[in-house]
Amino acid sequence: MDQAYQKTRSFAVGFNWIASAAVIVMMLLTTADVIMRLAATPIPGVYEIVGLLGVVAVSFSLAYTSVEKGHIAVEFLVRKLPRKAQAVVAAANDFLSLVLFFFICRQCVVYAGVLKQSGEVSLTIQMPIYPFVYGIAIGCAALCIVLLMEFIQSIRRIVQ
Amino acid sequence: MSPTIVGLIGIFALLILIFSKMPVGFLMALIGFVGFGFLVSFEASLNLIARDVFAVFGSYNLTVIPLFVFMGQIAFHSGISARLFDTAYKFMGHLPGGLAIATVWACAAFSAICGSTNATAATMAAATLPEMKRYNYKAGLATGVVAAGGSLGILIPPSVIFIVYGIMTEQSIGKLFIAGIIPGILLTLLFIATIVIWVMLKPDLAPRAQRATFREMIASLSGLVETLLLFLLVMGGLFAGFFTPTEAGGIGAFGTLALAVIKRNLTWKGFIAALFETTRISCMILVIVAGATIFGHFLAVSRIPFDIANWISGFDLPPYVIMFFIILVYLVGGCFIDALALIMLTVPIFYPVITHLGYDPIWFGVIIVLITQIGIITPPVGINVYVVNGVARDVPLEVIFKGVVPFLIALIIGTFLLIPFPQIALYLPSLIR
Repeated sequence: MDQAYQKTRSFAVGFNWIASAAVIVMMLLTTADVIMRLAATPIPGVYEIVGLLGVVAVSFSLAYTSVEKGHIAVEFLVRKLPRKAQAVVAAANDFLSLVLFFFICRQCVVYAGVLKQSGEVSLTIQMPIYPFVYGIAIGCAALCIVLLMEFIQSIRRIVQ
Repeated sequence: MSPTIVGLIGIFALLILIFSKMPVGFLMALIGFVGFGFLVSFEASLNLIARDVFAVFGSYNLTVIPLFVFMGQIAFHSGISARLFDTAYKFMGHLPGGLAIATVWACAAFSAICGSTNATAATMAAATLPEMKRYNYKAGLATGVVAAGGSLGILIPPSVIFIVYGIMTEQSIGKLFIAGIIPGILLTLLFIATIVIWVMLKPDLAPRAQRATFREMIASLSGLVETLLLFLLVMGGLFAGFFTPTEAGGIGAFGTLALAVIKRNLTWKGFIAALFETTRISCMILVIVAGATIFGHFLAVSRIPFDIANWISGFDLPPYVIMFFIILVYLVGGCFIDALALIMLTVPIFYPVITHLGYDPIWFGVIIVLITQIGIITPPVGINVYVVNGVARDVPLEVIFKGVVPFLIALIIGTFLLIPFPQIALYLPSLIR
């Protein structure tokens, strides 16, 4: 089981590399665009590309942020509870979060399908938008795996 | 059940469940999703969550967050903080409480290139606490000054809180940034006054350090020059209208990285750490924004924000009394709930009230940031105190919380100065288009 959690962790870190690459490209692209604009003509479509890179940066860091306990939560009250009760609260939270992100994931797949069908593209450079919505679905699916692992761990702490 | 009742149930559920340790962004999304489904239809609610998440993650305006966070992280990992402190220390170290005063100046300067309080507090704690310990400064003063000084990170531009507030209320981020400058300087001076008074009353808190030679002072200035250059590049370009906030963030991150590489101050390990911290912090912030957006759509269909605005105006109270109550809500809420989450939660409710009463939205943004600064150093959820404690593991939390108290008084004075004198915040924005 711990091995499975370790695997999930390295998988989340792997995803985060993609998110990190998106941040670097965003930085380089905006800088290049400003310099080009001051010198001659701006690079077309940078606004759109940077926005879509934002989708990659956030979606692919969802799992890593969760593994690192990076999402803000108010902890001080739960920390005062006995260990078992803490595990029960954690299991309930993990389960509800899992349900929420399952729905977001599923719905993004549906939404991406709609966008693909209608041939929705970005305004300036006509880039298809639907792959990025699939990106959110993939990021949410990775988060669901992390949440499932954490849910199982919380259950184990309850029955121990 | 009327939409208003459903909305109220949603708000109460959020206020109670927020203490369940569920991530705040997840919780807001969940309650928003269920509430919207209940009021409209679950079909519509399913569509809403996918669209809202895509709209937030893919918003060009919000990409300013990872870029400014990255800039601050690079500054942190390349040791700019230590060099800033060195400059301030050479100039002020010999004064009574001089190291603490130098810490405040260094915090203020670092805030000019970093938009978050935790990063400012963490980096300044690492740079300054060992020095203050070496000169036998009492732990309460040393840690208190870093925790409080670090809070300047969100008042002096760039500022993550101003960005989020600006996007939520459709106010200019550039104007909000510039509005933070004079209050930031004012607060820096108030913090310094606090140190001077405190050390005059209890001289054994802070033994004097030795005076630096004139040559040492001049040599130390290079630490300040790089920060000043970056600040002028980023904020200058933004205020002059050369680039958007996102572009300012991109250029700032690139400039900070280029400087660090040229001066060989950044290791590969530090670079990767900065990058991973950036994605983690940005993801955390954007998940809260997405959650708040879904929750906000639920509130909008429940008509609660309009009802509350009407209800409050119905009391016919003088505006400053209502303002006082709103500040009180933030002060109490700020003790328990993370600053960003609290703002995301309350701005949709209070913003219509504030504009209805005729208060300036930019000024209100500054007030919110000031109150947030109070929240992040007060127990039990004073995040900066925990950050400083993470660096100074040998200092008990109570000692840091006690050390913060005098600075809290300074913050409260600062906030209440801005109420009768809104020009402190609004003068500079009035100069730009």
